[in-house]
Parts: sequence; C-alpha cells; structure tokens
Amino acid sequence: MAGKGHTSVWPGLVALAIATGYLIALLGAEKQNLIIMLLAVGIVAVIAAAWLGLFENVSASFVEHEDALGVCAIGAAGAVAAVFHDNHFVLLLVITVLLYSVATLGLNVQFGYAGVLNFAGASFFGIGAYTSAVLNTYTAVPHLLVLLIGGMLAAFAGSLLLLPVLRTRGHYAAVVTIAFALLFKTFLEVNDVLGGPQGMQVKGMRILGWSFNDNIEIGKISLSFYMNYFVLSLLLLAGAFVLVRRLERSWIGLNLDALRLDETAAGCFGLDIVRWKITAFLIGNFLIGIAGALFGMVGGFVAPNNYTFADSLILVSILLLGGIGNPWGLMVATIIVVVVPEKLQTIQEYRFLLYALMVIAVLLFRPEGLLPRPVRRYFPGWRP
Amino acid sequence: MDAGLLAQYVMNGLMLGMMYALVAVGFTLFFGVLDVIKFSHGDVLTVGAFTALATYAGMRMLGVNSNLLDLIVMLVTATLAMAFLGVVIARYLVMPLRSAPALNTLLITLMLGTVLRESVRLFYPQGANPKPFPALLPRTSIDIGDFNLRFDNVLMLTAGVLVIIGIQYLLNRTKLGLAIRAVAQDEETARTMGINFTAIVLVTFALGSGLAAFAGVMNGLYYNEINFGIGLYLGVVGFSAAIIGGLGSIYGAILGGFLFAGLQTIGTVMLPFASAYKDVFAFAVVIAIMAWRPTGLIREKISERV
Amino acid sequence: MTRAPKFAVLSIAALIVAGAAVSADAKDKVKVGFIGPLTGGVSVNGIGGRNSADLAVRLRNADAKSKYEYEMVVLDDECKPNVAVQVATKMAADKDIIAAATHYCSATAIATVDTYHKFGFPVIVWGAVLPDITYRNKYEEVHRVNGTMINQNDANAELISKLGYKTVAVIHDTTDYGKGHNEYFSKALAKIGQAKIVGTFGVTADQQDFTAELTKIKALNPDVIYFGGLTPIGVRIRSQMDKLGIKALFDGTSGIVSDAYIQGLGPLAEGTLAFREGAPTEKLPGGKFFMEKYNAQKYDNPPEAYGAFAYAAMDMILDTIEKVGPDRKKVIADLANVKDRDSIVGKITFDDHGQNTVPVITKYVVQDGKFVEWADSEYANGKRKLPGQK
Repeated sequence: MAGKGHTSVWPGLVALAIATGYLIALLGAEKQNLIIMLLAVGIVAVIAAAWLGLFENVSASFVEHEDALGVCAIGAAGAVAAVFHDNHFVLLLVITVLLYSVATLGLNVQFGYAGVLNFAGASFFGIGAYTSAVLNTYTAVPHLLVLLIGGMLAAFAGSLLLLPVLRTRGHYAAVVTIAFALLFKTFLEVNDVLGGPQGMQVKGMRILGWSFNDNIEIGKISLSFYMNYFVLSLLLLAGAFVLVRRLERSWIGLNLDALRLDETAAGCFGLDIVRWKITAFLIGNFLIGIAGALFGMVGGFVAPNNYTFADSLILVSILLLGGIGNPWGLMVATIIVVVVPEKLQTIQEYRFLLYALMVIAVLLFRPEGLLPRPVRRYFPGWRP
Repeated sequence: MDAGLLAQYVMNGLMLGMMYALVAVGFTLFFGVLDVIKFSHGDVLTVGAFTALATYAGMRMLGVNSNLLDLIVMLVTATLAMAFLGVVIARYLVMPLRSAPALNTLLITLMLGTVLRESVRLFYPQGANPKPFPALLPRTSIDIGDFNLRFDNVLMLTAGVLVIIGIQYLLNRTKLGLAIRAVAQDEETARTMGINFTAIVLVTFALGSGLAAFAGVMNGLYYNEINFGIGLYLGVVGFSAAIIGGLGSIYGAILGGFLFAGLQTIGTVMLPFASAYKDVFAFAVVIAIMAWRPTGLIREKISERV
Repeated sequence: MTRAPKFAVLSIAALIVAGAAVSADAKDKVKVGFIGPLTGGVSVNGIGGRNSADLAVRLRNADAKSKYEYEMVVLDDECKPNVAVQVATKMAADKDIIAAATHYCSATAIATVDTYHKFGFPVIVWGAVLPDITYRNKYEEVHRVNGTMINQNDANAELISKLGYKTVAVIHDTTDYGKGHNEYFSKALAKIGQAKIVGTFGVTADQQDFTAELTKIKALNPDVIYFGGLTPIGVRIRSQMDKLGIKALFDGTSGIVSDAYIQGLGPLAEGTLAFREGAPTEKLPGGKFFMEKYNAQKYDNPPEAYGAFAYAAMDMILDTIEKVGPDRKKVIADLANVKDRDSIVGKITFDDHGQNTVPVITKYVVQDGKFVEWADSEYANGKRKLPGQK
C-alpha cells in the first residue's frame, strides 16, 4: 500500500483507461453472447480488484488528483464518442448517461449533502423538458437561454413545495414529493395545452444558426448529429460537477453536512436550517431542470409518461447505488443503470425487476452504496 | 342537484373511501409497531387480487360452480397467502433494517413493491394485460329515481365496515390488541412486560397484509377488472391517506381514506373543468394539508425524541 | 502475482474481446423492422400484426427466388407515445434496418413520424387510423396501407341516425387518437343533423374509475354513448355503465374491434356497435390465401382486425427491397410510385402523402359473443333490438 504518503496519479489513470476501454467494448458489442460474456468479465474483474484491494489505491488517487483525472475523464468520454462518431444510437446512450448524471448530481446536493428527500426528481426533469418543448415551439428565445430558464422553472416549481418540505420530516416529507410527482404527471396528462397524454414535439437545438439536428460532414468523415449534443452535454456535466464539488468543499457544504447529520444540533450551533435547506433544494432542482431541458431537445419529444413516479425512483436508486454524496460513484452507477439494460436486450423486459432487486441487495448488504463518499477533506492534500 | 344523483355520487365516494381506508389502516398498523413505512403494501394488494383470480381459475378447473363457495375460498386463500407474504417481508426485509435510517426501509419496500408488481406483470400468464375479474356477487339493483342502488355495492360496503369494526375490536378489546398497542407505544417497556416483540410485529404485518388482500379482492369485485398496476396507485393513495390522517392512528387512517375519496368526488362534481383533474386537486390538497398540519390531522402524541 | 502482469492479462483479454466484437460475420442478410403494441391492453392486436408481418418474412425467406435473407427486428411500443418514440429512435438509428411496418395505435404513430423523418427511415403504417399521421406533414418516409378514421365515423354517424337515435354523449381518450375520433364523429353527426351531442368527456387512456363521468352522463340521459378509444378502457366503461344502470347503446370505433373486448365483457358486450375500414379479412381478395398460410404457421394468436394490413405492409417492403436493394433512400424513392399495386388487401395506391385509399367500411355489431357484420346480424333484420332502438 502507499501508506501515508502521497498516491501517484497512475492508479486512477490506469483504472480510467481500463474502464473506458471496457465501456467501448461493451457499447460496440452486438452479439448477446458477447455482451453477456463481457458483463460477466466486468463483474468478476471488479470483485477481484476489490478483493485485491486495488480500489483503495484508485480512490486515493482520485482524491489526490481529482482535477487531473477529471480532465482525463473528459478525454475518456471524448474517446468513447470519437469511436462511435457515426453511430446515432450509441451516442444517444452516452448523452443519456451524461444528462442523467447531471440530474443525479442535483439530487445529490439535496439528499446527499442537505438530507432533503426528493421523490419527484423525474418531475423536475420533466419541467425542464417541457420548458424547452414550449419555448422552442412558440417563442424565439435563444436555445441556450432556454436551458437556463428550464433550470429556473424547475427551481421555481420546487419552491412551491418549500413550505411543506420545510415543515415536515421523515415520512411526512416523503409524502409531499411523492404527491407532487403524481400530481405533476396527472396534470400533464389532463392538461390539453401541453399536449395531454400525447406529449409534444421538441425542436432541436440551434445556436447562432448552427442546427444541432443536422449531421456533420468534415471532409470525408460524417459525424452523427448527436455529436453536437454530446459536446454540450459533456460541458454541462463538467460544469455541474465542478459546481457541486466546489459547493461540497466550501463552508456551504460544511453547513449542509452539519444539517444532514443532526438538524437539532446544527440549529443549536446557530445554523440557519431553513436557509440552507432552501438553498440545497433549489440548487438541486435547478441542475435537474437544466439537464431535463437539454434532454428534451435531444430526444425531440416529451410526454407525461416519461416523467412518472417510477422514473423518479430510478433516479433515487442511482443515487443510492452509486454511494450517496459521491459524484464519481454517481456517474459509475448511472452508466450501469442506463447502459446495461439497453445492451442486454434479453433482459429488457426484466429491467425494472432487476433494478429493484439490485437496490434491495445493495440496501441489505452494502447500505453505503458501491463507492461511498470518502471522509471530508478540509483542505487539499489533507488526509484524515 | 337532483337527490338521486347526489346519492349516486355519495355511493361512489363511499366505495372508493372504503378501499382507501382499508389500505391506509395497513400502513398505520405497520407504522404503529415498527415506526416504518412499508411501501410495498399496495403491491401486496395487487398480488392478493391476482392470487384470488388464480384461485378462481383453479376452482373452475376443479368444476366448482358456486359463486359463494368460489368467493369464500378466494378470500381465504388470498388473505392467508398475503398474511404469509407480509410475515416474510417483515422478517427478512424490514426487521433487519431496523437500525438503518428510516429512508432505507422506505426505499427497500418501495423496491420490493416494484419486484412484486413486475413479477405479476412478467410471470402471471399474460400479466401485462388487464384481467377480467369475475362478478361473483348478485347483480340485482333497485332504481330510486336517478339513483341505482346495487346490491353488490351494499354487500361490499357492509363487509368493509365489518372488517374495520373487527380490527377495532381486535385492537381495543383483546389481549393481542393490547400487546400490539403496547409495542406501538413503547417497544422497550413492552419487552420488559414480557411481550414477545418479534411475534407481535410479525402478527401485525400478517394482519395488515391480509387486509390488503381483502381490499384487493374488493377492488376486483367492484371494477370487475384487475391489472398489475392497481396496487401502485392504491398504495400511494393509501399512504397519503394514512399520512394526512396522522400516522399511527387507526381513526386517522380511516378519516384520511374517506377524506381522499371525498376530495376526489368533490373534485369531480364541483370543478368546472374536466373531471380528470380530480387527482390533481386531491394531491394538491394533500400537499396543502401537509403544509398546514405537518404531522397529520390527528397528531401523534409523542414529540420528536432528540 | 504482482499487479503489473495482471493488468497486462486484463488488457490482452480486453483486446481479444474487442477484436471478437469487430470480426462479426458478414452474410447477405437484410434487416427489416416491425413495431406494434406487444404488451398492454391492446397487445392481441399487436401480436396479431407481428405474426402477420412475420408470415410475410417467412414466406419470402422460403422463396428460392428471393435475393436476400430477411431478418425481422421486432420492437414493442406498448401503445404509449413516449415508449414509441424511444423504440422508433432505436430502430431508425440502426443503419442496418432498411424499412419497417409500424404501429397499431394512432397515438404512437403520430408521435413517431418526426423521428422517422429525422432519420430518413421509410415506414409503412399497418393499423393506425388517424388522418394526421400521413396528412399533417408531407414526409416522404411515411406511408400507410390501411384507411383513415374519417370514413368510419361517417358510416357510424349515418347508421345511428338511421336507427333513429336523437341524443349522444361522447367519451374519448385524450390522446390524438381519441381526439381525432371525437372531431370527425362530431362533424359527421352535425352534417346529417338528426342526432345531437349532449356532452363530451375526455378521459385518460389508463383511467380506472369512470363512475364520476358516467354519473354525469346518466344525468344527461343520452340514447347513445359514443366511445372513441381502445379496448381496455372500452371494457371498463361498458362494465361501469352497467353498474350505474345506464341502458344507452354503446357505440365504439375500430379501436374496440378485437377479441379482447368480448372476452373482457362476456355477455355485456352484446349489442355493441363498432366500425372499421376495409373489408373483413375473409372477404379480402387475398383473404383466403392469407388465412390458410397464417393457420399453417400455427401462431397462438389470431391475426385480428389489422393482421392482413400488417402482412400487406411488410410484403410491400420486401418487394421494394428485392427490386431496388437494401438502401433506405432507394426504398423511399420507389415507394413514392406505388400505383395499383396488387396485394392481399386489394390494389394499393399511395397518394402524394403516402396514403392508400380504402373506400370500404365494415359495420359490426356484437352478437352472441362475436363481431358480426351489421347487414348479416339479427339486429339489422329486426329479430333483436338494440337498446332504445325505435
């Protein structure tokens, strides 16, 4: 083991490279037997690595050299996209992973840091998506601004729930967001103005005359139009990641931690509980809303059935699976939850069943998630 | 409005309220003894209804053609099977998580609900499709003006009232009920008084889950159709009802159930626009009630332990 | 074993695996697609359509003269617009799939046309009846072999006017399918000007409890309840009508013409009206041939009302690929010129919107647990009477 000294950047880098190579192989594989074999190899490799204690080095390396490895992770995502540059479907999957990661980062701020429950994640995601549907169809608002408005509207809708969310605790708080999730879906379904159950088409993104929905031809190479969205989604995720990390490390994050761990004690020490809960809830919903707005444009279609309570549950289960409070864990969990069922056609039918069983197993045997949040670092280079 | 129509609306509302109340009582029982929310409750209802349907198919295969006999066997099988399922869930999923945060229990039972629901969808023959549920009660009816009073609805309402009275009697007048109430009030004291805590918890879960099966059969008889998703909706409504009534209070659960049904009916009758908004209206009122009375209409007596 | 060799082993394994993925075999196979509702309340129609399309592919593969070996990729739209867009994107984004026969539900077909257009993916709709699917846009990718709902609503309005009914309450689902039926039926009824609509109720496609709407309808006391929607809620509404003691005629659309409707209701289905474009399968030009071949395959579901159209759609796709080769653009170009093409459902001609014209409408009434053609039924010759029939 590296002992108390500094860990080099290499373990993290190698792990990242292997993960990227593996992901490319998995995304490119088409034969069901091959995919099943790959997944089996992956599971065995992870268990073996955990058994050998390799992950400690990797995670130490990620903690020490987060910035450098973050840049490398962006490079890795770019490499995946480059390999599949003309494959619409794989790119769409990759974009889904990126945007779901942004949304779960938002949930992470709410629940992972401040301990505020949100069982309506998909609804706020839907508010963002519907915002881009409506604004792109009826107005000439610049599309980048639409993303921002989507986030703001989601935050605003969330603020309608603030009073009950703040006043209630535990199960009583859960019912508020659950009721909202159901209300939201039913409202969209019965409200004709927003397309009812039929949903709405969303026009593709267009920035300064550059249409995101056209395929790109550079010389002889033709790129899928999803490449545009990929770049934007990646930027969004990088931005959200930096924001969430900064927030976590700042004194705001410290306040949120105190709040989550013991509300009463935090109050006794003079923390303004209401203020920090509001902050976390709004920031979280803002991130979810932006991701939703962009996802609406990527998919080109929104409908109430995309944003049901079951979808909110999937978001929460990603959070739990990844390890509450750890952004890297969230991204790994998102990849698992989004990519595996898509690739494994034979289990398509069974995917909800498998999610549920997986979460139950995690809760019973590894309640802290796959990659639990490491101990807080109070300043760079500091180790507990 | 015409009195006959009004009576019709009241009847519709009462039927809905009875089903909601039966589910809500289950939630409140579980919360009482363990301080946990068992969110799979609604899906236990679904499994109960499908068990009854399978029993019916089995009875018909055996050549039994008496509606009454069918119904009794269906009810008994479904109730017992779900009581057993409830015990298994409590023993292997809920109790092991007692020391974990409350959210973990909520999540694990939510996921268990998904497992049950999906299992019905995937493994019951043609489970993804709505299934016709046999009409086993006599279908005679009397017309009183615009009011169509159906004999089967009256029977179901009466049965529901009897079951709730029975539960009430059990809780307040029997030794078992005393033990359940003791555990609900204070686990440690109850233990020192020689009450077998685990056994009482398991019995309570059996009782609540059996109730869910009863509500499931009732739902099938009322709509003459069941599908794998009925439990999700009824579970959420039942949960909301138990919450707005005040968790841990059986009267609160009944009040919440009928209140929710009342809100939906009022939403249908009064709202000027489409009656489809009734759920939006009802859930909005739930949220408002939570803002007004954060621990439900009938409040818990004990304040938070720090 | 130290770590470095382990990593080496891992990366070699990864390379081998990646290599295996790349070296996929390359036979002369051509992929075509089918989308329909395979689960959910209308799944019998979807499965009937899938079997019929599958039959077309099997017969073609058994034909020694065919140039390619076809493989049919089947996806399930669950009759839900959002799922349909997902699977349509999946299919259209896969460049190996050349063309597809798609959708039974109008709500899903209308949601996906933009997707097909975006990806330049030629499809032939085999069962959805909303006019907008072909007529809202002028997409060269989208075609349809079956007719639209306009004509069936004309026939519907005509029949109930002829039978002397005066008041109608309309229930429709709030997808584009139900809204379309509401629109065309109301227009058709107004044109005849005999019966009038006393109330219109929009309901969601997965609603369970209709007692509130039906109690309101009961107060209006209409002769007829017109229902623009699909089988699952059709069954619920019809049985809850009975619970509330409503004795009006139940008048449905092509959406309830399926065995599931009768199975779900039992004796309550008796006397329900329904309408569908196209002749009954056994009376189609190629109906006998189709039923013989279909039964020979021993599928465990009947082809249902639109199976013959699914067969015709898939057969036309295969014909076109045989003719111009597996190339989406060429397939689209060739499908633009379909005129008087022979098929089992009769001659097919696509107009400039890719729409085939189907003039015949079949009127059905449920009699003794079967959908019977109106003209052949005991209701038409007066032996039995519909509720409230004069």
